[in-house]
Amino acid sequence: MVCLLLLVIGVSTIMVFPIFSNAQSEQKTFVTHSGVIVRTSGEIIDPLYTVSTVDFDPDKFLRNFEYGVVSYSETGQTIRDYTIIAEDDKIQEISPGVFYNVWTFNGTVPGPTIRATEGDLVRIHFINNGSKSHTMHFHGIHRSEMDGVFEIVGGGGGKFTYEFEAGPVGVHPYHCHVMPLEEHIVHGLYGVFIVDPKEGRALADEMVMVLNGFDTDFDAENNFYAANTIPFYYQHHPIQINTGELIRIYVVNMVEFDPVNNFHLHGNLYQYYPTGTDLVPSFYTDMITLSQTERGIMEFQYDFPGKYLFHAHKVEFSEKGWLGLFLVKNNSKSEVNNGN
Amino acid sequence: METNKKTSRNKMIVSGIVPFIFIILMMAYIFGPGADLLDLGVPLPEITIEKVDFVKSEIHVTVRNTGPIPVQISMADVNDRIQPAAIEPDKFLERYETALVRIPFEWNEAEPYIIGLTTDDGVRFEKQINAAATALQPNIEFVAFFAIIGTYVGVIPVMIGLLWLPFIKKISKSKYHFFLALTTGLLLFLGIDSVKEAFDVSSENLSGSFNGELLIATTLVLSFLGLYYASEKLTGKADSLKISKPVAIGLMIAIGIGLHNFGEGLAIGAAIGLGSIAFSTFLIIGFALHNTTEGLAIAAPLSRGKLMVGKLIMLGMIAGVPAIFGGWVGGFAYSPFSAVIFLSIGAGAIFQVIVIILKWIREEGEKNLSSASVVSGFAIGMLIMYATSILI
Repeated sequence: MVCLLLLVIGVSTIMVFPIFSNAQSEQKTFVTHSGVIVRTSGEIIDPLYTVSTVDFDPDKFLRNFEYGVVSYSETGQTIRDYTIIAEDDKIQEISPGVFYNVWTFNGTVPGPTIRATEGDLVRIHFINNGSKSHTMHFHGIHRSEMDGVFEIVGGGGGKFTYEFEAGPVGVHPYHCHVMPLEEHIVHGLYGVFIVDPKEGRALADEMVMVLNGFDTDFDAENNFYAANTIPFYYQHHPIQINTGELIRIYVVNMVEFDPVNNFHLHGNLYQYYPTGTDLVPSFYTDMITLSQTERGIMEFQYDFPGKYLFHAHKVEFSEKGWLGLFLVKNNSKSEVNNGN
Repeated sequence: METNKKTSRNKMIVSGIVPFIFIILMMAYIFGPGADLLDLGVPLPEITIEKVDFVKSEIHVTVRNTGPIPVQISMADVNDRIQPAAIEPDKFLERYETALVRIPFEWNEAEPYIIGLTTDDGVRFEKQINAAATALQPNIEFVAFFAIIGTYVGVIPVMIGLLWLPFIKKISKSKYHFFLALTTGLLLFLGIDSVKEAFDVSSENLSGSFNGELLIATTLVLSFLGLYYASEKLTGKADSLKISKPVAIGLMIAIGIGLHNFGEGLAIGAAIGLGSIAFSTFLIIGFALHNTTEGLAIAAPLSRGKLMVGKLIMLGMIAGVPAIFGGWVGGFAYSPFSAVIFLSIGAGAIFQVIVIILKWIREEGEKNLSSASVVSGFAIGMLIMYATSILI
């Protein structure tokens, strides 16, 4: 009887005791999304991407445009040759500590940003090194057999050359069009195709943003959202721009599962060119809603230096990673990355 | 002769060991290096969120790796919105290892929250909290609070129940058998109630890897057997220990009920700790009414011995005080695993007591359990318990 009582006291003491002995040395610190600094004796689990862990560099991707290998036909037409290799066995750390099997064009999600001028002959030498069938389907104007839907390219080295004249002017997506289509898209087989007008656009600091998401647990809902794949990346690595300089963003929404996505800019409004097909802007706004593969060109410039957010105003998406910062510097003289 | 004996003994030991050697060889063949016989399928990681505490500006999540392989916790979220967080001691969890995830978050009182954790393969596990409430800190105030509640729920009702003793003392033998049978009815209900509660906790909060149903069955049977053995010894030695057989039986009943009340204390403590304050008020009222019948259960066998107030109070304490300890453990250090264990032990203890009382009725009475007084007592015992349990 006494033993039993002692046993009960003993057990309850053991179970309550750990609470009293929690005074350990605390070393690491981190900042919460609301700016509070927290200390811990353990490890930090924070979607904070550092350069050493990047498989894919969103900074590089942001201002990178592929113009292909240029040659000219007898008639003087510009020919741009690209080699695109599809793979489907890569495991990428798409957010710190979270690994996902990405399917890639040229090793990255999104694939390379292909850029040509209206009327150029674009030749895509497509090689499928994946284990499954893949294709490349470009949005735009081309012949039926270049549509990448019925011309399935088998895995293990299958080849196909897509050939078409670049057009119409604007910003378009390209993606794999093998069934089940949703699966091939959400794994990462997509990219951006920009067609410049012959007369060119005004000089600007140009960047490309693919709004995408990842369903890492395959429940037909995205676990992560981002501009250019890595959640919260541009929040921790603000995009540096200058006051008084024209900024041009080619935005393409590749989010699946959710019917809409959107783009909200802080402290400013942008001129919006839907699909970029017209040279006159349709809207002057700070909020554009985009459905699947809907895209456009945004142009703006900042008058005041400082930090400005840009994010989905579908706040769920921004709290799952689709959120970034422009760091506007007061420096009118700077390099302007306009590609060609 | 001597050597003969020795060799036969050695032979016996060897023959006992030989099968083990073959078992080891078999395991080595199946699991050993280079064995790819069972290398099929993909082991899926699994984690279980066992506990969520709301403290000032932070949510504390206790997580256990309940899958077949080590996992890494990569991300935390609140209501499916990603939050930076800390994990202590570290994010790598071996099988069955636990860690504390601290999510800085300005939570709102009484609002529901879903806490999610994502592992390195991108799979998200979640747990819903119906109403956020400040986690209890084991300070003097709350220790005293639970002691008072435990007293109300455990000690006082049992003591009140014991007041029926003089009444039971004065009644005829068949009426006495009626009350003994009533006691078994009450206890059977309590036993079933404990098992049900254990299954509920197991299915809601215990990971499948603990094999909750069989954990309950195993613990229950072990508890039953252990206490049965102990009580046989105790009642057998009753004379030499200078306690009468009724007191020995009363003591076993008190121990069984005590273990059960510990489980009830756990339930109340956990309900308060998990923020279901209104629910716990009902629990307290219900348990208090319910538990007066437990006093009756202890009183019934004792009524045939001498009236010993001191011993009676002692038995009342054994039955009632564990509710206080249960409240402390449930409120400050709740874990579904320990709750299931205690509830199962309590159930085993109660079933053991039922067997002892039934044996006693048979020995005392007409060697049968089908007399009108026994059957009606048993039935009414169950009915009383059901009626009072609706109040919970």
